[in-house]
Amino acid sequence: MEIVESSVHDAARQHAEEAALAALVDQYASTLYRVAFSVLRNQQDAEDAVQEAFLRVLRHRETLGEIRDHRVWLVRIVWNIVLDRKRRAKTRPETDDIADLTRVLPATGMSAEQRAAAVQHHSSVLACVEKLPDREREVMLLSAFEELSSVEIAAVLGVTESSVRSRLFRARNLMAELLQHKRSTP
Amino acid sequence: MNSEVRFDRSVGALATEETLRMIARLPAPAGLEDRVKAGLRSAPKSANVIAWPLASANGWMRSAGMRGAAAAAIVLAIAGGGWGVYSHIQVAPVPSALADPQLPGAAGRFSTAGAMHVPQTVQGPVVAAPVLKKQVQPPAEAVPSWQQHAAKKGKAHAQSHSSAATPSIK
Repeated sequence: MEIVESSVHDAARQHAEEAALAALVDQYASTLYRVAFSVLRNQQDAEDAVQEAFLRVLRHRETLGEIRDHRVWLVRIVWNIVLDRKRRAKTRPETDDIADLTRVLPATGMSAEQRAAAVQHHSSVLACVEKLPDREREVMLLSAFEELSSVEIAAVLGVTESSVRSRLFRARNLMAELLQHKRSTP
Repeated sequence: MNSEVRFDRSVGALATEETLRMIARLPAPAGLEDRVKAGLRSAPKSANVIAWPLASANGWMRSAGMRGAAAAAIVLAIAGGGWGVYSHIQVAPVPSALADPQLPGAAGRFSTAGAMHVPQTVQGPVVAAPVLKKQVQPPAEAVPSWQQHAAKKGKAHAQSHSSAATPSIK
């Protein structure tokens, strides 16, 4: 009798864990994909990173109950994965950004010329972002996500909120200088 | 000029944030959640205990007590085997006195005490010094001092005897 009870309990617990994981996928897969894409800027790589993040969650699903903020926790996992992948990958050339942005940018209300100009502008901005120091770039990329507050960005990066703010300030100044320099030297 | 620079800076920062926000707002591809779930379903969940082929799904191996008993039996079998091997090993008897091993061919001779014969060629050729011949006196002429002393002593003794034995003629 005891055997049956324990096996039923195990099955129920496993079912509950699977349901919780499926709910996390439904709720946060899109956010994680966008975070991954902002760093990797490639659809397939971003999707692979999301898959890997949820596989890590699956391996540590026993700890799901201890996590207070699942969103920040998941963003942190996928953030570490994409940074690791980016470190291993070669430097991304600007031409790749142009090609990928042409594919993914929304074309509503724009002529072909306007769209090409927008793609060119965005890719040159992204090339400048790549030139930023790692710390400043990371804060700048995460601050673009409206759903992440500075406290949450600090939690993802494992730093204090004040350092997030100071890094963001430095990143904006550096970006302005880089863009100005790029415009002055065609 | 200063305000122009500030304006440029704000424009640059705005352009950056606009681009990054645009990328951050890009929608995820359709069917992403389903693909992720399918990937999770096909992934190995955790390490499982390999099923014993003779044990049925609801058989006796499911009981924790029986599993413990089986584990204890395995431990006993291994420990018994180990003891069997240990008890059959015969320890060599310790000799009461330790004897040095005899060197071959060393009986009745002085040992070399580990000295090794090294040929001269190892340290280079050695030029033999010329040997000077000594002039040796013939042994017949040479009278040792003790013999001379003994001869003097014997002569004196003989003289005293002869003077005592022969009366003086006056």
